[in-house]
Amino acid sequence: MLVPVLAIGGLGVVAVMGVVAAFIITGWLGQPVPVLGFEQTFDQPIDFPHTVHASTKQLDRVAADGQTMEGLGLDCTFCHRTVTTQANAGVPAVNFCATCHQVIGAADNVPLTILRDAADIVGDDGASPVNWQRVHRLPDHVRFVHEPHIRYLTANPSEVKNSTDGVTEGPSGVCSTCHGNVAAMQQVEQVESLKMGQCVDCHRDNGAPTDCAACHY
Amino acid sequence: MTTAEFGTHNWGMVVDVDKCIGCNACVIACQAENNIPINTQDRVERARSISWIRVERYWEGDFPDAKARFIPIMCQHCENAPCEPVCPVYATYHNSEGMNVQVYNRCVGTRYCANGCPYIVRFFNYWEPVWPESLRNHLNPDVTVRSRGIMEKCSFCVHRIRRESRNARSAGVEIADGAVQTACSSACPTSALNFGNFNDPESKVSKMKEDKRHYTLLDQFGTDPNVIYLAKIDADKKVGAGEAATHG
Repeated sequence: MLVPVLAIGGLGVVAVMGVVAAFIITGWLGQPVPVLGFEQTFDQPIDFPHTVHASTKQLDRVAADGQTMEGLGLDCTFCHRTVTTQANAGVPAVNFCATCHQVIGAADNVPLTILRDAADIVGDDGASPVNWQRVHRLPDHVRFVHEPHIRYLTANPSEVKNSTDGVTEGPSGVCSTCHGNVAAMQQVEQVESLKMGQCVDCHRDNGAPTDCAACHY
Repeated sequence: MTTAEFGTHNWGMVVDVDKCIGCNACVIACQAENNIPINTQDRVERARSISWIRVERYWEGDFPDAKARFIPIMCQHCENAPCEPVCPVYATYHNSEGMNVQVYNRCVGTRYCANGCPYIVRFFNYWEPVWPESLRNHLNPDVTVRSRGIMEKCSFCVHRIRRESRNARSAGVEIADGAVQTACSSACPTSALNFGNFNDPESKVSKMKEDKRHYTLLDQFGTDPNVIYLAKIDADKKVGAGEAATHG
């Protein structure tokens, strides 16, 4: 590769070096961008609106009966039940959704029909899980456990960054530190880089261990 | 600050060789717990098998009076580890809990550490690990699966330590003595392997290591291991701690 580049002369060398430098800089500093094969948002099998469930505000969404909707203001832990006790926040089982949605929502609502079909309320092909696409994913060599983070932030609301519709404490507010204001998201997307630098900065500020083996094992 | 806080422990192990019956339960437990690839015949023949803990067998005396002796050997988590200073990328280092830590995502696979280790307890992944279809869902989710080109070794089951310290902090209590058990020590049927905190003078391991049978492997290298061995007692002849130490 180098020989033809040298043949074109100085400008060619500079151009190639520039391309290589740009590649390295974007790869090293840049967020995972769609160009490099990482999608920030995914097309979920069901267009799940976090706004309707988690927001505490008036929404610009119109319900089937023509009324403008107001957010339900559910805590994050209402559906993500294991977040305060376990490593994973957990995605609720489809039957959990069906607890409300076998009654709530119009019968001809398309996303809810997918849900009710999965929960075997309509259709006759049996219950099946919804194949949600994971949005926040850490590399396999990182062990992240939600429980201590939620516990610490609940005890120290002053360390909470961002906010969930203005709320910074309690079971719905603390999550915003890493996940942003999910209650305002129609489709969940990753707002923080969640790279190691961000983890270490926060650990350092809060006196949490910065030993490698705290997360990598 | 409770002692469940990070860095207040000095984890270590006491191996009572007198109790070891060479059953290899620790080896299997470790293999299952830590997502270690299956050692096929081909890999063993090429001396590229991986086992974080092994039971070495040797014979004492001549036939017909020969006696089988067993000694389990895992990473000694040396305080003065020969593997640490040779790593060019600081992928192995000593942490504040007395453990020699291998950071997989830092490792670039120079294998200097394995060459430096006098105990032969570091293993290199020459291949991408593959499990049979039936075992794919049996991997431990708390332990990283090491890819090709990564050095690995006994971690003192650090994921179990993390889990117990998390539970203790959550409950606001100290980690009870014996709450943290490594896979090998919990599998050992004769309690030859004992895991605990050397910083606590009342812990089981701290008391055990005061035994006058205690010795460390390859003591002459001055590695100051965190794995303490208790010598085999022979009913027929008197074996002192000094003599047993030469078997390592």
